[in-house]
Amino acid sequence: MPRDEWPLRNGRPCVQVVPTLAQGGHPLQRTLLADTGAGSQLSAFELILDEDDCLLCGGNPDQPITLGGAYVGSFPSYVVLVQLPALGFARNLRVVCVPTPPAGFDGIACFGFLNRFQYGNFGNSAAFGLES
Amino acid sequence: MSVANAVQDRNRELARRINEEARSNPQSPYANKFVGIANGQVVVVAEDLDEMARRLRQVEPDPTKTFCVEASRDYDVVEEIWGLN
Repeated sequence: MPRDEWPLRNGRPCVQVVPTLAQGGHPLQRTLLADTGAGSQLSAFELILDEDDCLLCGGNPDQPITLGGAYVGSFPSYVVLVQLPALGFARNLRVVCVPTPPAGFDGIACFGFLNRFQYGNFGNSAAFGLES
Repeated sequence: MSVANAVQDRNRELARRINEEARSNPQSPYANKFVGIANGQVVVVAEDLDEMARRLRQVEPDPTKTFCVEASRDYDVVEEIWGLN
């Protein structure tokens, strides 16, 4: 099964995704905190990104999403084409946009996204990976 | 109000009405569908988000003229993001 792994960042699990850019843009790789505590399997969204990235990617606007906990209030959401090249993954996902992603990260890969894959350290305590 | 803002407002209002209809009437043709809107009109009704977005971009490449809604979803539900320390 294809697997992609990334070293822990600041001791935390992360994944690197490639949101597809609007025409003429440069390749954009974003490192997201892998957080199973962000949302649930029933949540309307799978990723949290900086709003500038959502606009840069030419995301289609969607309904605002109401968050609680680390982020409180109503936040815009967009539908963005997201890729994980090593896994052959390319799908449109609903992304919530916040003004301030977690320090040291470009956003959050939420439970709904992680749970599309098998996830974990796969025996390497210095890394986090996804397997499809 | 600019033309772009007027289009966005029309899209948002249509999305709101579609979701309201779908939530109050399970027989609505939009119930539990992913709906793509462009320039104030419904242009795509699909079974899943990925399919809807791909078709919506074929119809209207400019994302600022589009809007998406998952009909029947309660967007007012508070989604918890556990805090980071």
